[in-house]
Amino acid sequence: MAVIEVDALTKRFAGLTAVDQVSFTVERGSVVGFLGPNGAGKTTTLRMLLGLVTPTSGTATVNGHPYADLTEPLHIVGAVLESSLAYSGRSARNHLRIAALMGDAPPGRVDEVLDLVDLAGVADRRVGQFSLGMRQRLALATALLCDPEILILDEPANGLDPEGVHWLRTLLRRLADEGRSVLISSHILAEVAQTVDSVVILDRGRLVTQSTLAELTAGGAHVVRVRTPRASDLIELLTARGATAHVVSADWTEVTGATSEQIGTLAAEHAIPIFETTTEAADLEDIFLRLTANAERTEVTQ
Amino acid sequence: MTRLIRTELLKLATMRLTYGLLAIAAALTALFSLLENNQAGSSGTGVPPISTAEGLRTVTTVTGFAMLFAAVLGSIVANGEFRHSTATLTYLATPNRSRVLVAKTIAAASVGSLFGLVAGVIATGVGLIFVAAHGDHVALSTGTLIGHIAGAFVGAALLAALGVAVGSQVRSQLATVIGIFVWAIIIESAIGGLYTSARPYLPYTATTLAGARLGNAAFGPAHGLNGGGPLPFPAAAALIAAVAVATSLVASRTTLKGDIT
Repeated sequence: MAVIEVDALTKRFAGLTAVDQVSFTVERGSVVGFLGPNGAGKTTTLRMLLGLVTPTSGTATVNGHPYADLTEPLHIVGAVLESSLAYSGRSARNHLRIAALMGDAPPGRVDEVLDLVDLAGVADRRVGQFSLGMRQRLALATALLCDPEILILDEPANGLDPEGVHWLRTLLRRLADEGRSVLISSHILAEVAQTVDSVVILDRGRLVTQSTLAELTAGGAHVVRVRTPRASDLIELLTARGATAHVVSADWTEVTGATSEQIGTLAAEHAIPIFETTTEAADLEDIFLRLTANAERTEVTQ
Repeated sequence: MTRLIRTELLKLATMRLTYGLLAIAAALTALFSLLENNQAGSSGTGVPPISTAEGLRTVTTVTGFAMLFAAVLGSIVANGEFRHSTATLTYLATPNRSRVLVAKTIAAASVGSLFGLVAGVIATGVGLIFVAAHGDHVALSTGTLIGHIAGAFVGAALLAALGVAVGSQVRSQLATVIGIFVWAIIIESAIGGLYTSARPYLPYTATTLAGARLGNAAFGPAHGLNGGGPLPFPAAAALIAAVAVATSLVASRTTLKGDIT
């Protein structure tokens, strides 16, 4: 069952179409990466989903309702939209006390989330003195305050050092294991690849694809490297069967569009000796870049 | 709504600016009270001796600056959320923006009223100290003096509410603060000077005069006020409230509906 449904969502700002007919869903209990280069329309889409930006057309619902119609929305959705959501003159604790009162969070929850994001030691320090990474942790603490079942995180790794990114991954994995649904945006696939079940890829305001990581990888071309002394014979046979092959060095040939098993069987049928094969899985980052680059080319063509 | 108002009050209580504005308002009230009392009875100052009811009324109603600071506080309650990007969290928690506006208005009016109360107590205290120092008789009844303080209390609350309405319309904090002072000190003075009959209906003038009027009407004989006969207190309060409500209604249908980007 989908907890988030976005249907043909469109937003135009003064002649510029920031989001164009975007549709996707997030299933209950799944972790979905919301990916795209900077300026792809990710933040605008998330803000429309959360009722902060009015769509030009289309709909976005959480648990079947527009965000504005949710009762006690902070108990349903926790959102990190920007690291600077706290007034810089307040302490982290006071910021969370206010958020707790807003969301009617249970007493004691403030200290719990401060512990959860490792900010308990600096809770009484003013937010203005926090580093960007500490602000991101505070933003996460704010999102988790009312123990929501859905998390919407916009570039939560921004400003985090490598240790912070590792901490975030671990936290997200734990939250996902608890059965929460997470929609996490990033412009870097590698940041979220280890955490997400599926991805929604946006480019220039348009949906490029929504698929699982496995589907994404399968859709990307595997490259099989074959070491054979009869490269030209093998290339001829493979090409006749729709694969693509070319010699890359003295003995090595690179093949796409055929598995190592298919290549081995074909070679055996024609008595072509094969000394070695290696299969290189398609790199997620390459697929991501290719998909967004394709979208860019389509845009230019149109 | 109660939780929303408590949230807005907690926001104000955890902002150093709230205490800073109150301190400045109190300090300015004390300063102007001292100056007024010092000048009272001197020729050319226009302030009658504090031994007279008119003189004592003048020096115990020097609360206008505190009311202006209450208006500034109200404006910051509204547009400070945009300056510090905290509006995102506020509207995520309460998507109904009109409810947020109502809560902000009530919270700002509550805290703003303290500005009037503090200023009223300071102005009255300083006036009475000067009266005692001169060995004069207190020319106004206790009830009248309390009425002046009550007028400042209510007037500051109303102007704080008006400040929220204005702050909801104009997202630039600096522009709003400058605008409030320019309106009260320059524009109202100019309009009031040119059109005396319109003077009682100008928001800031009506509020400051209403404080004195409340004291007179509720507790003592009516004293003459300089310039353009003040509105009765209920009329002045209704005028400010009406301006605040009208401005808030416009804000709730225009700027408050805008995208939070």
